[in-house]
Amino acid sequence: MNWLTQAARIAGRELRGGLGGFYIFLACLALGVAAIAAVGSVRVSITEGLEREGRNILGGDVEVEWDFRGASEAERAYLASLGTLSEIHDFRSMAATGDGSEADRALTQVKAVDDLYPLVGEVELSPEIPLEEALAGDGVVVHPVLADRLGLEVGDALWLGSKPLTITALLRREPDAGADGFGLGPRTLVRRATLEESGLLSEGSMYETKYRLLLPAETSDDALDALKAATDTELEGTGARWRDRRNAAPQVERFVDRIGSFLVLVGLAGLAVGGVGVSAAVRAYLDRKTPVIATLKTVGAEGRTIFAAYLMQIGVLAAVGIVLGLILGVLIPLAAGPFIEARLPVPVALGIHPFPLVEAALYGALTALIFTLWPLARTEQVRAASLFRDVSGPARGLPRKRYMAALAISAALLIGLSAWLSGIPELALYAAGGILAALVVLVGAAWGVRALSRRLARTRLARGHPALRLALGAVGGPGGEATAVVLSLGLGLTVLAAVGQIDANMRAAIDRDLPEIAPSYFFVDIQPDQLSRFLERVQGDPAVNRVDYAPMLGGVVRSIGGTPAREIDHWVTRGDRRISFADALPAGTRLTAGEWWPEGYDGAPQISFAQEEAEEIGVEIGDEVVMNVLGRDITATVTSFREVDFSSGGIGFVMIFNEAALSGAPHTWLSTVYAEEEAEGQLLRDVAGDAPNITAIRVRDAIDLVTEALSALAAATSWGAGATLLTGFVVLIGAAAAGERGRVFEASVLKTLGATRGTILTSFAIRSALLGAAAGVVAIAGGAVAGWGVLTMVMEAPYAFEPVSALVIVLGGALATLLAGLAFAWRPLAARPARILRAQE
Amino acid sequence: MVLSLRDVSLSLQGNAGMVDILHDISLDVAARETVGLVGPSGSGKSSLLMLMGGLERATSGSVEALGNDLTAMDEDALARFRREHMGVVFQSFHLIPTMTALENVATPLELAGARDAFDRAAAELEAVGLGHRTGHYPAQMSGGEQQRVALARAAAPRPDVLLADEPTGNLDQATGEAIMDLLFGLRDRHGATLVLVTHSQELADRCDRTIRLVDGRLDRETRRTAEAAE
Ligand SMILES: Nc1ncnc2c1ncn2[C@@H]1O[C@H](COP(=O)(O)OP(=O)(O)OP(=O)(O)O)[C@@H](O)[C@H]1O
Ligand SMILES: [Mg+2]
Repeated sequence: MNWLTQAARIAGRELRGGLGGFYIFLACLALGVAAIAAVGSVRVSITEGLEREGRNILGGDVEVEWDFRGASEAERAYLASLGTLSEIHDFRSMAATGDGSEADRALTQVKAVDDLYPLVGEVELSPEIPLEEALAGDGVVVHPVLADRLGLEVGDALWLGSKPLTITALLRREPDAGADGFGLGPRTLVRRATLEESGLLSEGSMYETKYRLLLPAETSDDALDALKAATDTELEGTGARWRDRRNAAPQVERFVDRIGSFLVLVGLAGLAVGGVGVSAAVRAYLDRKTPVIATLKTVGAEGRTIFAAYLMQIGVLAAVGIVLGLILGVLIPLAAGPFIEARLPVPVALGIHPFPLVEAALYGALTALIFTLWPLARTEQVRAASLFRDVSGPARGLPRKRYMAALAISAALLIGLSAWLSGIPELALYAAGGILAALVVLVGAAWGVRALSRRLARTRLARGHPALRLALGAVGGPGGEATAVVLSLGLGLTVLAAVGQIDANMRAAIDRDLPEIAPSYFFVDIQPDQLSRFLERVQGDPAVNRVDYAPMLGGVVRSIGGTPAREIDHWVTRGDRRISFADALPAGTRLTAGEWWPEGYDGAPQISFAQEEAEEIGVEIGDEVVMNVLGRDITATVTSFREVDFSSGGIGFVMIFNEAALSGAPHTWLSTVYAEEEAEGQLLRDVAGDAPNITAIRVRDAIDLVTEALSALAAATSWGAGATLLTGFVVLIGAAAAGERGRVFEASVLKTLGATRGTILTSFAIRSALLGAAAGVVAIAGGAVAGWGVLTMVMEAPYAFEPVSALVIVLGGALATLLAGLAFAWRPLAARPARILRAQE
Repeated sequence: MVLSLRDVSLSLQGNAGMVDILHDISLDVAARETVGLVGPSGSGKSSLLMLMGGLERATSGSVEALGNDLTAMDEDALARFRREHMGVVFQSFHLIPTMTALENVATPLELAGARDAFDRAAAELEAVGLGHRTGHYPAQMSGGEQQRVALARAAAPRPDVLLADEPTGNLDQATGEAIMDLLFGLRDRHGATLVLVTHSQELADRCDRTIRLVDGRLDRETRRTAEAAE
């Protein structure tokens, strides 16, 4: 019989005892695996859904988009040559119940479509009539939310601009909603032709045109690439933006990716916390098995046989834990499915995806291996002689080289795998490095607190205080649980503190980023001939504190300082840019370099550039900027830099031209109005009643939308924190339970020697406080570093240490452990010592 | 009477239901008396000793020590009682593994509020021949050394009653005799009452009285006759 068969037989006999005592092990592993499997499944479901449904979500194979203008004849002809072409105008406007200043108004996102819309997918209406019929004549379809807001029903009149229309149906499903991302107002669907004479969509006003293409069915992805290259060349410098079925909903994809990658990180950290629990459970188990191992050695078992026997047992247990985790990981997303689907504007087909499950199982198996190899390797060092000692001291020294090598390889494999599979290699490496560093620091902290305790136990301080000396002895003495507790508590608290820091910082960011004095309204699309009447109304209102206004038009950057725009990687050079012009320096503007043009200047065009953006791009005073404005190239020289604060909610332009350079081009005016909140309603009715084409964006609503998106992120953080908290709690209970045996024994002996329950409990509390303090200090520091890392690298937000959150979490966690430990001590303290001591014999 | 047991019975929960361990035991131990408990393995000697120390709760009957009813006291009261009046040496010593020999011996002294706990503990270890082992942890000592530490720990507070379970079980002839001298010295110098469980005829012979247990019942009591004392 070879040694492996022997090992298997020993393992089989040992496992007959059942899984009792391994609940912590199973829970730690299962929770970690479940969290990662669940996050992975949801993520794959969404991305696969986006891929599969790409054509439906986009509403075609390809979309080419322009801002502020439609395609020229030539551009349109080119696009039409590629396939079936459909044109959509997308813009914000006011929907009104009438045309006077008495009417109710609400912001809406209008989609003006042609006869071909939708190229793919179906629009669902209630009542269930064809779209064709609903949009005929002056028919308009609105989202139920808009109808609700205005108190309108099917059959009622709805005004868009200066044109009365009739609501013919409510919009139940818009197939291409995901492609548009998260809009500011509920949707209105109308024929482009219906909007003639509405005063909307005039030249210079703010709108997007989308050209959707349906390509021949057999068009492959390669052909799509070739087509994109050809189109890029054809339409270069026109500000056209290309999108195809493969990245139909980039906003949603980015959103899901960001939350998903963050949650995978939290999951891995949770698994690491669980790993510490797994390690502690295995160590406690093997400690208990020391007599068995020693006996097996006495009767002739080799070290490798024993190692294999226990490795097999742990392997079976790990398999059970992982399978439990996978089952949970499949069930959680299915259960949460409707909740997730309701929050995303794209179809999500939640199902069982093998890939994330395999990924989670691999992580789980490697974690189990990494965290059990060390204690398992120690079984080889148990000597038969330990049978003849009353209390066997734990084996000391490092495990043999081959186990160390196996440990290093498994760790490298886990880190490499997570870096490769998560799709965020850099972050995964940072996270792994962070966890590793935390573990090393915690081992150091454990060593430090043990050495300190040993020293203190020898000093006068401890003399005459048996409770204190007892605690110091337990922490500093041999075979204590100190290291395991500091490791699990410390890692758990570190992850919790980090999540707390991230959460607190995000909440602070929401508060901080809201401008203190935000304007009440953005008014856009004010036609030049409407400006004076508009200003008269708002400036004459005593409830209005401030009015800013500037002309605005769209342009495309062709080149800066001789460098073509496509070679400059910056948002300013991508797509259409809103630009403005002015004669005199606008009030409140501060120049940081160069000089403003003289009043009435009408020489060669000049530009004043935003300081920060100029620095980022590398623009210098004297550089020439070529800008395409409504089909005409304008070459202007940068003559000054300005300070622009885009966060204050006011008007800010990256580029301002001298007035003479642009005033001839069609443009509209933009105005911000700061008014008392009570006056806002009447102001809107007056302005829109007078000029229905003017769109008012209520800043408060826009801020609410941003807050909502951030809250979703904060909610994801909270879920992650919850999962980690649960694992951490299980680990802490595990540590408390693992230490119970030793504590129970000690309590019984101490009672025999005359210690009261109060003294013993005090001693336990001091011990927990010592270990909690060591773990807590590391956790606060580690949490701050991790919080800083995640905020600056993942969330791209500033970080500030949040002391309250850190202290509350660390103190709370330490207190919870203390209470759990005391709860475990309660039962043995109440029992008569003989019962417990007898069992020790 | 220092110890007084009346109709004491003890049953424990075994794997297959309740196991009766002691049946209707009544016995008295006078002050300064030394009593040896003998009997075959498994006859209930250790269990009886635990009952006398209030470490085990009798299923029925009463246990009185120094006039206190141990069955009516709670765990804290029992602990305080032992702190002041009683020392216990366990059959398997039960030293606290996270404490050195010196700390183990000093602990009951500290609990009793002694100021010079460590000096007295060191002297006590010297007396059992372990003056050179004070800094060792239990895992670093032999069985006999651990046993002597346990004895020093029980004897250090000078208890009125010393309960010792096989105090010489693991010791060689010479050391065993030295320990016996130490035990009886406690009676002679400090007036302690001793109850000793032993398999050693020699130790039993030095006791004033030996009580033999068989199957959890008092079987035979032998008082040392005047001749034997000489
Ligand atoms: N927890 C228990 N449950 C049931 N029975 C027990 C338990 N502990 C001990 N016993 C039984 O009680 C009986 C008396 O045990 P005890 O330890 O008092 O014997 P002893 O006379 O001290 O033996 P030894 O000389 O071997 O030390 C034994 O038969 C033992 O099997
Ligand atoms: Mg016994």
